[in-house]
Amino acid sequence: MRGVRSALRFLRGEPFAAVGAAIYAVIIVVAIFADRLAPYDPKAILKVGARVARYLPMTPEHWLGTTSSGRDVLSQVIFGTRAALQVGLTAAFAVVAIGTLLGLLSGYLGGWVDRLITRVADIVLGLPFLPFMLVLAALTSPGTGVVIFTVTALLWPNTARVIRAQVLSLRERAWVEAARVTGCSTARIMFVHVLPQVLPLAALYGSVAIGWAILAEASASFLGFGDPSTVSWGVMLQDAYANQALSRGAWNWFGPPGAAIMAMVLAGFMISRGSEKLLFPKLADQ
Amino acid sequence: MSLLSVRSLRVTYASRSGPVRAVDGMDLEVPAGSITGLVGESGCGKSTLGRALMGVLPDAGRIAGGQVVFEGQDLIPLSESARRAIRWRRMSFIPQTAMNALDPVQRLRGQMLEVLIERGGFSRDRALVRAAELFRMVGLDPVRLADYPHQFSGGMRQRASIALALALEPALVIADEPVTALDVIVQRQVLDVLRELQARLNLAMILVTHDMAVVAYACDRVAVMYAGQVVESGPVEAVLERPLHPYTMGLTHAFPDVHGGSEALVPIEGAPPSLLHPPTGCRFAARCPFAQPRCHAEPPASRALGADHLVACWRAEEAPELRALAATPATWAAA
Amino acid sequence: MSALIEAQGLQKTFRARGRLVHAVNDVSLAVAPGEALGIVGESGCGKTTTARMLLRLEDPSAGRILFDGADITSLRGAALRPFRARAQLVFQNPFDALNPRFTIRRSLAEPLRNFGIPEAEHAARIDAVLNRVRLTPPEAWLDRRPHELSGGQLQRVVLARALIPGPSLIVADEPVSMLDVSVRAGILNLLREARDALGLAAIYISHDLALIRYVCERTLVMYLGRVVEEGPTTELIANPAHPYTRALVAAVPVPRVEQDRAALPIRGALSDAPPTGIGCAFRDRCPHAFARCADETPVARSLGGGRAVACHLGEAA
Repeated sequence: MRGVRSALRFLRGEPFAAVGAAIYAVIIVVAIFADRLAPYDPKAILKVGARVARYLPMTPEHWLGTTSSGRDVLSQVIFGTRAALQVGLTAAFAVVAIGTLLGLLSGYLGGWVDRLITRVADIVLGLPFLPFMLVLAALTSPGTGVVIFTVTALLWPNTARVIRAQVLSLRERAWVEAARVTGCSTARIMFVHVLPQVLPLAALYGSVAIGWAILAEASASFLGFGDPSTVSWGVMLQDAYANQALSRGAWNWFGPPGAAIMAMVLAGFMISRGSEKLLFPKLADQ
Repeated sequence: MSLLSVRSLRVTYASRSGPVRAVDGMDLEVPAGSITGLVGESGCGKSTLGRALMGVLPDAGRIAGGQVVFEGQDLIPLSESARRAIRWRRMSFIPQTAMNALDPVQRLRGQMLEVLIERGGFSRDRALVRAAELFRMVGLDPVRLADYPHQFSGGMRQRASIALALALEPALVIADEPVTALDVIVQRQVLDVLRELQARLNLAMILVTHDMAVVAYACDRVAVMYAGQVVESGPVEAVLERPLHPYTMGLTHAFPDVHGGSEALVPIEGAPPSLLHPPTGCRFAARCPFAQPRCHAEPPASRALGADHLVACWRAEEAPELRALAATPATWAAA
Repeated sequence: MSALIEAQGLQKTFRARGRLVHAVNDVSLAVAPGEALGIVGESGCGKTTTARMLLRLEDPSAGRILFDGADITSLRGAALRPFRARAQLVFQNPFDALNPRFTIRRSLAEPLRNFGIPEAEHAARIDAVLNRVRLTPPEAWLDRRPHELSGGQLQRVVLARALIPGPSLIVADEPVSMLDVSVRAGILNLLREARDALGLAAIYISHDLALIRYVCERTLVMYLGRVVEEGPTTELIANPAHPYTRALVAAVPVPRVEQDRAALPIRGALSDAPPTGIGCAFRDRCPHAFARCADETPVARSLGGGRAVACHLGEAA
């Protein structure tokens, strides 16, 4: 309860973070109630009389019009939130879990563990994101699995680095030493004493990873490496592009999924920017 | 006449829960050419007072009333530029950690010259001579003017910030815990430098400290602060030997004495009151073993008892008996 | 009487700017069960490093540590746990010594759990120890978190945490220097009471001789990594044998009207590049230094009555 109240107080003081959180909240609500909110089945091919209802403009029946194959754009955008959250949250969770674990081990244990993890992280940070994903998708079967794997594999070093730095400073705190004196094992110190302290920071990096994962999914789908059977914003964009929606000026088709992707990436960015002051108060003073 | 008179000064800090009365009706007289110790616990307002006098309160701080009469002029209504003209030239400051006074990326020579030329109107040549003279005065080799602060030890940095504070021969120096961060030997050496310069330049000095022993060593006069107010003040001998306020009595038994007997130390149980909602009566009453109903109901006014010895306590007349009682831990344990 | 904890020739060296620095240089000491030893010296003299090595929080570069006659110098991990249960630490900064997320109850239960005390006993032991440090009634404190407590209260919790496993030795590193003056005496008295009641041995680390005198029967004076003098505290203060001890005693301010304001019998400052290698480390600051002080490192010699000094002054030539 106290946590909720302090979170609310924080949001009031940080409009940046508040806007980001609001965007996330809207997207989550939409994803949960997608069945009820969407006016049509996003995959259903709609007809007007006997003809397929292709390229309808924005009308009261179809707020955002229809696609070239006669599907309702609004319903697709609404159902796209599910794919976005699925990819985003799964990838973010994996990034945070792996990054935090490796950062914790690296920072607390030091020595060869630290050297190894830091070295690997440096190499991974040098890998180009899109080519890596495309090669991987070409070698295996394209789909969200590849997207999530790529985001996780390439994004954990960012989280690991900041967690490591945080752990290095926590390690010098007297209460960590006190845990040693009072008989805690190294594992217990790391996971029971230190880990809870770095989780907020880890969650922050997770919120950035959500945006990255959605962008990655959109890029992969757009380039044709997505899973065409799912309804996602990336697949929508690819579909629109393949059907010359751009040259036809059907911005009611490609605009909404693009805006949705931007909003979600922006939300992650805003939350992380807004929370910086909370996590690094010294930064705010300057 | 005093060089500095603080009269009913009130300083508040804005906080989420309302104004915190850090200094709340404070009176203090600082005569010219003497060292006045300002002693009290953390949060009693002693550092806030120092900052208020210098006119460098943090943003949340505000002077809510009272007067600060310095060299016959009330400083409170003055504009920032008028205050700036007084700062350094007539009144200067030595902070607890010299690192706060010294710029870490500038050689000490540059910092001395800046004060001497910008603030003091010295020519560059005269300023260089003066900087060397100041360094010698505080016991530093003038060749070290070419060094950066991090190349100095803690004691040397504190000497450098003393030199900086004295550069323009102010009439009053406010030193905020100048020796707290130092080891005993260095502490003693820095106190000796301060004492010697004070006497030689006939300065007035306010030495803010939590340590009664530092007051005893270095000061002529002392003001004991508690919860934003001065509870007792007077010449050091009088206050140390014949404390009139129970808080002062407690403090004199709270320190171990390296040459003293083996009697038990007396802790003052409890904690200072909230300055957000200070109690109506005497602020020390809740921790005082001698408190009576009147103490909780009405705040005692400061009054003179003995030559130049002020106290704010309803039972000050009974001080001789209370002193005897205050020396035993049992008295305080019962409070 | 055999020692509870004993250090033989402890060394701690590290490299700083390519130079080998002896933070602790050949320190030997012994503390008997129930005895209180003070280690006094200025910052950088190696007193804290010595204490940390004794508690096996830092590995010595050379030397041995014996606890109850057993060599614990190279124990690690779980093998160290029985020692940890018997040798506890009271920290300097109470504001940083407790996990900020843990309630007081959890902070106190942590050692009990780690040292394998059955959970059924936890509540009773936590109550007892809170009563001992006068945080009463215990129920009023159990569910609070560190940020709700004052410095003096926090230090009581830190002391309680040190006492709860039932140690034989308490090491206290500047236990009151971060506290307000009015509550310092309370913590010092609690430490004294706990020692008397439980028969604990104690090692106090401080720069303040007055404090050491209040709590320790015996004192060891360190200067730049070495022990320069050792003896019963009152005698060492009344009649210091080493020139450094003399300066240290003279420098301690006293809260009295009568003051000795004579210049300290010491020259220079600690930071003026201390002499290294052969010879007495104090010679550059010593008002009595003579040729031999530069040629030969003084070794501790007994003065009788439990006193010892490492100084060439007064030595038979």
